[in-house]
Amino acid sequence: MSDDTFLRDRTAIVGVGRTGYSRDSGVSTLTLALRAIRAALDDAGLALTDVDGVACHRVGDSVQATLVAQSLGIADLRYHLDLFGGGSQSNWVVGSAALAVATGAAECVVCWRAVNARSEFRMGGTGRGAPDTLEFQYQAPYWFATPPQQFAMYGRAYLERFGVTAEDLGRVAIAQRAFAVDNERAVMRTPLSMDEYLGSRPVVDPLRLFDCCLETDAAVAVVVTSAARARDLARTPVLIAGATCGGGTTLFSNGHGDLTRSGAAGMAPRLYAQAGLTPADVDVAELYDAFTPLVLLQLEDYGFAPRGEAAAFVADGATARGGALPVNTHGGHLSEGYVHGLNHVAEAVDQLRGDAGVRQTPGARVALTTGQPGYVAGTTSALLLQTAA
Amino acid sequence: MTAPRPAPFVERDSAIWWDAVARHELHCARCDDCGAWRWPVRALCARCGSLAWSSTPVSGRGTVASWVVNRHDFGGAVPSPSTVVLVRLAEQDDLLMPGAWSGPADGAGLAVDLPVAVGFLDVPAVDDTPGFTLCTWRSA
Repeated sequence: MSDDTFLRDRTAIVGVGRTGYSRDSGVSTLTLALRAIRAALDDAGLALTDVDGVACHRVGDSVQATLVAQSLGIADLRYHLDLFGGGSQSNWVVGSAALAVATGAAECVVCWRAVNARSEFRMGGTGRGAPDTLEFQYQAPYWFATPPQQFAMYGRAYLERFGVTAEDLGRVAIAQRAFAVDNERAVMRTPLSMDEYLGSRPVVDPLRLFDCCLETDAAVAVVVTSAARARDLARTPVLIAGATCGGGTTLFSNGHGDLTRSGAAGMAPRLYAQAGLTPADVDVAELYDAFTPLVLLQLEDYGFAPRGEAAAFVADGATARGGALPVNTHGGHLSEGYVHGLNHVAEAVDQLRGDAGVRQTPGARVALTTGQPGYVAGTTSALLLQTAA
Repeated sequence: MTAPRPAPFVERDSAIWWDAVARHELHCARCDDCGAWRWPVRALCARCGSLAWSSTPVSGRGTVASWVVNRHDFGGAVPSPSTVVLVRLAEQDDLLMPGAWSGPADGAGLAVDLPVAVGFLDVPAVDDTPGFTLCTWRSA
């Protein structure tokens, strides 16, 4: 049995950077990436010359990692990763950077996601050719190819199994919007009522407009270096206590017969063990929320609510401000903007540093951030972050 | 005007499956050594590791695992309403296959575990796009 506990607290996120979130950035994804990386290095108090590794994920919708490295002027690129995939990979970009730093392969790795997801490349092929994944041939001819359709298929199975209602999904969207109202970066800052949620346009049953994330033009970057070096930098180090990828089987590979559980269910115990933490230790969770059902599913798959009881957990206010486990404290992909998981990592860093202003979870020491939980893509990834005791 | 169905992008692994569907036969790959079913076609049996397999007819029976109803036309690319089912084939619990629904366009009457049977839909050639055949499912 492999032992990945060596990674625990060996590395840290020492800087975060973001561009603005908009419907049309007016610039290239390369420019977005460079702006976010520059901001993250400034936040960390590091220089371009400190960077020796780069890591990103994309689906043919953004600039390649090595071109970013060239643009940063890195003459001897010790580590690079250009991971194919969407949000399921997002946390593994950071996790892989942590592995590279922990093993000594690199010393300082910048991780980012840069997309013109509104003005240029919308996920799932609307506005461009279908993605070049083999499985699309079995879906697209049935008018079944875009992410809301795919996630509705899984979401339906979960809703039917546990009697989850439209109001239950609405409470997820409403709780996250309430956080976004107090987030100056958020795209959606008007409070959302249940009537407005229920009255929003149906997209693909059982999903309405406000069950869906906001395709956004934006970039977010974070800087990963060793915990030892982090202690010498200006900002409070946010230690990477655990970083895992997992899952693998999906609708299009045999072995995944239960549509009401994701790949995260199998991975989560390994993540907690690596970090030496339990669900009860987590103070704040930034859960991948391309669509509302994913939040309910992950509350169960990461061990916060018993099977079938996530909707009740949300209805009790546990995920709202002041609740036992505030979730998506920036508004998430539903209300802040959709930067494919990297904005969740950045928000977790803000929360653990105490930088989240009126959205701050008091005394937050441990945060969970997650990638898309393995629906559709099969694989998933997550991080457990913490500040030093 | 109804949106055209996108033609499948047939590749070297999948051609044998699409060819069977074009003959109005539903096949899956079956391991010659351990008998496990798999779909879509893959060269290797993930259960026993064998590379030996045969394209083998299935019963064409199954149950509804889930379904979606398109309510948005995605820029004219999708008819609204239209329903897509995900069928769990009778042969094996993890054989899940999307398909067209031959019942009401709004999916009325669908339920998880509803027994269904396969049929075939021949999509005619349009301009430069050759015709192709799809699976469609009905209550059984």
